[in-house]
Amino acid sequence: MSYIAGITDKALKLIASMPRVALNNLKGLPGSKKTFQRRRGREKGSKHGRGDKGQGARMTLPRLGFEGGQFPFYLRFPKERYYEGHHMKRQYPPLSLLQLQRMIDLGRVNPDEPIDLTTLCNTKLYKCSPEHHHYGVNLTDEGIDIFQAKVNIEVQWTTENVIAAVERNGGVITSRFYDIQSVMALVNPEKFFQRGIPIPKCKLPPEDAIEYYTDPHFRGYLADPEKVAEARLELAQKYGYEVPDFSKDPLYEMLKQKKDPRQIFFGLAPGWVVNLKDRVILKPKAQEWKEYYHS
Amino acid sequence: MISRSCCILKSVKNNSVTLLRQTYKSDCALEKIYPNSNPDPLQHVEFKDTKFSKKAIEGSFSGYVPIDQLEIKYLKSSGAGGQHVNKVNTKVEVRFNVDRADWIPEWIKPKLKENEHGKINKEGELIITSDKTRKQLLNQADCMDKIRTIIFKASIKPKEPTQETLESMKERLEKARREALRQKRDHSIRKQLRQTSLNDF
Repeated sequence: MSYIAGITDKALKLIASMPRVALNNLKGLPGSKKTFQRRRGREKGSKHGRGDKGQGARMTLPRLGFEGGQFPFYLRFPKERYYEGHHMKRQYPPLSLLQLQRMIDLGRVNPDEPIDLTTLCNTKLYKCSPEHHHYGVNLTDEGIDIFQAKVNIEVQWTTENVIAAVERNGGVITSRFYDIQSVMALVNPEKFFQRGIPIPKCKLPPEDAIEYYTDPHFRGYLADPEKVAEARLELAQKYGYEVPDFSKDPLYEMLKQKKDPRQIFFGLAPGWVVNLKDRVILKPKAQEWKEYYHS
Repeated sequence: MISRSCCILKSVKNNSVTLLRQTYKSDCALEKIYPNSNPDPLQHVEFKDTKFSKKAIEGSFSGYVPIDQLEIKYLKSSGAGGQHVNKVNTKVEVRFNVDRADWIPEWIKPKLKENEHGKINKEGELIITSDKTRKQLLNQADCMDKIRTIIFKASIKPKEPTQETLESMKERLEKARREALRQKRDHSIRKQLRQTSLNDF
């Protein structure tokens, strides 16, 4: 036993005296990486690994896929472009106004608090899976005539008649974009906080979506607030209802709540680390981090 | 399931996380993107401050309809549709008294009454109905559209013909008269030439 202990001590002393493991003093196992063979010299020269005569030796091999004149495999089948890129496109699983009204009536969703993607996913009645390219809620017009709730709702896609239905009850609706990492955090915040990473700042919409989210007619979160107010009046005139005066509303503070374009969670800023176990929030102190998370 | 979600709502209400004062402002905040704009998301805008009122000519109908001065009723639609059409009030009826409507300029009202005499009742109320779609909201929008269309139609002023137009019309008329006389004379001569008299033989 002491013999083995002696060897161990020696080994540990050796390691202690060595420099710290870093990228510049690491090496793979011999034979784990194949090296490029140049085939030069007396042994490897002469035919240079090309064999005897033929197209292979004479650099006249035909293109990849050629089958000696037989109609090649890669040309046999026509292109069917119907679903080209479908696996990359953004999807917004629908939620109807009828479902939303039902959730509010049954107490699953509280209309006295702002409603966003997290609220809807927490009910477990609405499912949004970011792994299937689901980027958020699409509020549809089924149940538009029976919708009576006054809500401050934040959705990812909607239509004009749905906006009218929400606003004529005195509610507020906003179209808001979240990138896929933000959606993953929103859909299950508890799981996200357990990862222990700082809250990311939400990215701006891609090129094909920027037009929608800067449009006041769809209440885009990046639209000019004055134009949104004008659009609200325009829509009220179109659909035949009076625009309510929000300043006299008892729920004015709640309806006014809006997230910053970089913010994902209400009440939490990007860069913060939420520790659920110790029930603390860690905020960055370094200036460069503060600047980054405010940019 | 319902009791659990109720518990969640209770805890949220007590903590009121969402009602924390918003102190985080990034470089992408609306105040930075639109520095000259009022940042209040619930700001109130009067019609007179919008681009529509600025486009409207003084004294003409601008398209603005005060909804509180209209009487809106929801009725049952007719036609096929089974239980849904029998039970749901999808038809929309909008009525207002034409004489008492101060939002329509006075000079349009006589023409309006003339055009839509079939839709105006004995009390002088103009009644517009719509059951075009299956949705009450869209039918109401259709009613609003109809109201605006008939008012704009009644406010078309017929254009006075210009001096040039009148002169050219007069010239054309005289030319037509001259031509008609010429043709008449030609026809008469042709007929006379066909006649024969005893003196010719």
